[in-house]
Amino acid sequence: MIRFLAKRLTQALVVLLLVSVLVFVLLHLLPGGPARAILGVQATPDAVAHFNHQQGYDRSLPEQYVSYLGRLLTGDLGESYKLNQSVASLLAERLPKTALLAGLALALAAVVAVPLGVLQAVRRGRAADYLLTGVAFLAYATPVFFLGLVLILVFGQQLQLLPAEAPQADTVGGILAQAPALVLPVVTAALGIVAAFSRYLRSAVLDNLAEDYVRTARAKGQSNARIMARHVLRNALIPLATLLGLYLPTLFSGTLVVESMFNYPGMGLLFWNAAQSSDFPVLLGVTLVVGVATVLGSLLADLAYALLDPRIRSVT
Amino acid sequence: MTDPLLRVEDLHVEIAGRGGTVRALDGVDLTLAPGEALGIVGESGCGKTMTALSVLGLLPPGGRVTGGRILFDGTDLAAAPERVLRGIRGNTVGMVFQDPLTSLNPTVTLGAQVAEPLLLHRKVSRAEAWAKAEETLRLVGLPRPAERLRHYPHQLSGGMRQRVAIAMALICEPRLLIADEPTTALDVTTQHQILELLDELRTRLGMALILVTHDLGVIARRVDRVAVMYGGRIAERAPVRPLFAAPRHRYTQALFAALPDAATDAGRPLATVPGLPPSLTSRPTGCRFAPRCGFATDLCRAAEPELTDGLDGAAPADTAHAVACFHPADPAAGDPAAALLPPHPAGEAREPGTAGTLGNTGEPLLRLAGLSKTYPLHASPFARRGPGARGREISAVAGVSLTVRRGETFGIVGESGCGKSTLGRMVVGLEPPTAGSVHFAGRDLATLTKRELRAHRRRVQLMFQDSSAAMDPRMRVGAVLREPLVIQGIGDRAEQRRRVAGLLDDVGLPRGAVDRYPHEFSGGQRQRLGLARALALSPALVVADEPVSALDVSVQAQILNLMRALQREKGIGYLFISHDLAVVRHLADSVGVMYLGKLVETGPARQVFARPLHPYTRGLLDSANTPDPDAPPPVSPLGGETPSAAAPPSGCRFRTRCPRAAGLCATTEPPPTEPETPGHRVACHFPLTSAGSRGLSSG
Repeated sequence: MIRFLAKRLTQALVVLLLVSVLVFVLLHLLPGGPARAILGVQATPDAVAHFNHQQGYDRSLPEQYVSYLGRLLTGDLGESYKLNQSVASLLAERLPKTALLAGLALALAAVVAVPLGVLQAVRRGRAADYLLTGVAFLAYATPVFFLGLVLILVFGQQLQLLPAEAPQADTVGGILAQAPALVLPVVTAALGIVAAFSRYLRSAVLDNLAEDYVRTARAKGQSNARIMARHVLRNALIPLATLLGLYLPTLFSGTLVVESMFNYPGMGLLFWNAAQSSDFPVLLGVTLVVGVATVLGSLLADLAYALLDPRIRSVT
Repeated sequence: MTDPLLRVEDLHVEIAGRGGTVRALDGVDLTLAPGEALGIVGESGCGKTMTALSVLGLLPPGGRVTGGRILFDGTDLAAAPERVLRGIRGNTVGMVFQDPLTSLNPTVTLGAQVAEPLLLHRKVSRAEAWAKAEETLRLVGLPRPAERLRHYPHQLSGGMRQRVAIAMALICEPRLLIADEPTTALDVTTQHQILELLDELRTRLGMALILVTHDLGVIARRVDRVAVMYGGRIAERAPVRPLFAAPRHRYTQALFAALPDAATDAGRPLATVPGLPPSLTSRPTGCRFAPRCGFATDLCRAAEPELTDGLDGAAPADTAHAVACFHPADPAAGDPAAALLPPHPAGEAREPGTAGTLGNTGEPLLRLAGLSKTYPLHASPFARRGPGARGREISAVAGVSLTVRRGETFGIVGESGCGKSTLGRMVVGLEPPTAGSVHFAGRDLATLTKRELRAHRRRVQLMFQDSSAAMDPRMRVGAVLREPLVIQGIGDRAEQRRRVAGLLDDVGLPRGAVDRYPHEFSGGQRQRLGLARALALSPALVVADEPVSALDVSVQAQILNLMRALQREKGIGYLFISHDLAVVRHLADSVGVMYLGKLVETGPARQVFARPLHPYTRGLLDSANTPDPDAPPPVSPLGGETPSAAAPPSGCRFRTRCPRAAGLCATTEPPPTEPETPGHRVACHFPLTSAGSRGLSSG
């Protein structure tokens, strides 16, 4: 297990290094370079050269990369062009909020999707299965922004049940204090995932129901409900656990839309605003964070798999 | 007579599926006394498994009992609600399934799985249940049961998993154990161990047993009575000895005659049953076997025969020899197979042993010298390499030397994991050997240029166990057979078509088959296609890897006969790889026995089988299930299990299971010697020579 962990961590580090290279390259691909981005198109060539020298952009690329990596390791992601704040502090402020939103959405998705998936599998080929399958495809195919708009219209405007704007607080605690305002953003972010997860679980449960060990359990006199709970779900949830990890990046891109739609003060909104004001250091900072989250997500997926499946556990 | 424990009366089962409703069972009658053992035999699709499953109400989705009763201890299980069935399953009736690899839950500990029925059916605490689970695991012969309780199924070998599955079925001490092909997925020696275990447990616990199998050898010495099923009905029902001595139903007779064991000595072709079993989607008129029966008359095609003991019109007694046939064989007649067998082809007769001598005169076609193959255990980019990583390898084939002569059949026998398939792949050139050489027609394959290697591939072809998996499901048969010709650039389109038609003629398939897809054929027909494809390039050698293992006995006989006829006609050599001793014995001129990557014994087939020199060969032969209820119990069946090829024992690899092993065996690898007759080589320090046996018994 230790060896497996060490191996996976090494792999993750390699990928993270590649992510940093990619972000570095992107930084240099900015139109006209960072100098033009900051100083504007009107800047004189002298000013640009001066800026480049000051910032070290006139040195060789490998040299620049090493110093970039050095800064990265000390947590220096540069300064926002527009917000007069360091990118690191911006992310530190926004990331927990986005993590909260994503985490709640993921938890909700899992809690709803598991019973739905099981229900569809058990009722395979009957009305409930077809109905839920139809709804799932509809939910899966609906763009997040459209779904959010519908929810805002129905629950925020028509029924006036829930606030249409997300909580506006500086801290995570403050956001949680306004729980009702969280409902619509979380549901919007979760619905697509519910659809995907329940479909996935449906087929996983069906696959497992066809396994010989289910017949063995029946031959022991076990009831169908307990076979599902004790035998089938245990096996069917393992791939779902890994799916959770792999869904992190999807979730982040989902929150980008959700946050801008509900004006939720998270990383997605930060990204959205930065994109509109060409605030490149912020954009790249967020990109880096999402890259790291993706790598961590698949690392977690692997670990979950190894922890949950005894076959993998003993091999590793 | 005591009241029966189980009485199945006129049972009808239907299974609804996409292709229509299958009448899986159509009027099955069975009885079982307490403590009695009943064998249900038949080929695939005959309804034997459905009979077993319907007793516990475990029919597959779409299956239901449409008529009849299943009386177990006075309760009609066919009409019982699920709740009652649940109270019986795993409690008074235990069940063991075929594949121990899939019938245990991979993510639940063995302790929890074995204790589960007890917790369900008895008022016991978890600790008590686990204690009993440990006790039951000890009963079924699982080493270190206390430790094993916390283990998972994948940590056990196949044989050990089957022991666990038996423990699960036995923990509530059932009155009836139903075992559905319990040993089919296991190796010969493991099979023997599991059957012995079932036997012993039955006597010890006084329970009744239903043993469902396709293998006549399995039931011969294990049951009191036998029911032979065909097409969803019982064809013949009798106590085991009368049935084996004088089968009366024409189908049972044909089944026996098709066994390779039946023709081992004569070297004659096996009796086959033409045609295919009925599909059961429509109710056949008349006897179900009539279309394939050589004795069928108009009566057979018009009316369905009932089970009768031939004495009077009344229903036969439970224990009588009853047969559902209008023209049963006369029990007084002699060899029942004689009537069925094709006439002995005079002049063409070939004793297995004499063919070996014929082979001795033939020129060597394939010569393997010290052939080895090792696989690294971890093939990831992060695995350690270099000298430090030694030992983390699997030694699949280790130093095999043998010679196959032109036109001869060389049988490679061994249990799973002995390296026989790897050997075959190296011969064909699909895997490069790690060490040693393959000489084909006098030339070392390693020295061939790319072009020569390409030409070489024409002359060695491969035939697989599962031809359906080995053929592109989206290619028509014509394209499948033409492909080798196209690749090797032989002939133009018309010429290739002509050759494909010829190939289909050779293997006995209609020429119209070219326009069909592989899945439209039955298992036996697909093996014919596999053979046709292997023969497309007119090879000198065909490596056949378990070509008949997936087939029913009667179809297996057809393929074996075909392979043999084509060999005679075209002079092909076969490297015939199989785990089935009877098949190899029937077909092979020479034989090599492999154990854990080593060739332990090789020589003319007749000598090796009649007078094995290696203790492993002896053990294999002793463990094989001969279809004879009066066969003496084996002298030295093999105990234990094959060690891992990742850490083979030092010295002689067999020593950990060998009854004769001594200190020398652990230190020195035995060199091959020919202690008895020339050409019969054995790699053993203490071979079973006549002199050696005497020395051992006197010492």
